[in-house]
Amino acid sequence: MKLKLVTFFAVIALLFTACGESTTAVESGTYQGTVKKINVEKTEIYVTTADDKTLELYFTDQTSLTRNGETVEFSELIEGQKVEVEVEKVGKRLNPVSVSILE
Amino acid sequence: MEQLPDFWRTEVYHPLFAHFPIALLLMGTFFKIFALWGKGKFLASPGTILLATGTIGGWITIYTGNLADGIVARTLCDPTVLKDHENAGYIMVWLFTGALLIDLLYLLDLVTLKKRLDNFLVVLILVTGSVYLAYVGHLGATLVYQQAAGVHIPSENCAEFN
Repeated sequence: MKLKLVTFFAVIALLFTACGESTTAVESGTYQGTVKKINVEKTEIYVTTADDKTLELYFTDQTSLTRNGETVEFSELIEGQKVEVEVEKVGKRLNPVSVSILE
Repeated sequence: MEQLPDFWRTEVYHPLFAHFPIALLLMGTFFKIFALWGKGKFLASPGTILLATGTIGGWITIYTGNLADGIVARTLCDPTVLKDHENAGYIMVWLFTGALLIDLLYLLDLVTLKKRLDNFLVVLILVTGSVYLAYVGHLGATLVYQQAAGVHIPSENCAEFN
């Protein structure tokens, strides 16, 4: 029982070495994908593209967020939504120029 | 004229806090390693105290790092380094947390595994955590010294200091 407890913690520790989110700096362009994660405080979203790359996008004052062509609030975004994002690559940073909610 | 920004900016709290757990956790690891041998046994309890305070400090550093992230990431030329720093930071703190829990379970007599084996397991996790700690520190330094993360870069004529 107690040996199992120790083993449990050891396995937990090892599991954490395998987790963590990796992101990709793609070229400038327009990509379609799914909203994987949203961080409201940081106005940040993670988008998974069709080829399984994760884009980390921090909204700027210049980022437009629309649905059916109309500007919407950041709170309209929900995880699992299909989106189209236009990004500008600056160094290895991706600046979201526009984000369109597709559904 | 450019204004000198306030020193106590949100992104500055992270490096201010980070160095305390670095020192505490590394010293705690050394104490626990020396406590494996007979003459160093007296270092076991101080080692646990160092680990406990260092782990708490580690979680505070994670919190301040999250606060800094939202500000700094928008200015970096390569935020993937920041992501690696964040991921490795979480792994590091969880490793030390796991080692501390095992150590405390043993101290509270909730684990009856052979004493030496238990201590060895704790030290093994602590050494792994220390390797991650070095890597996290390296990435943090890279962010500051190569990408000026959270750093105010003075104007060429230093006008804001007049």
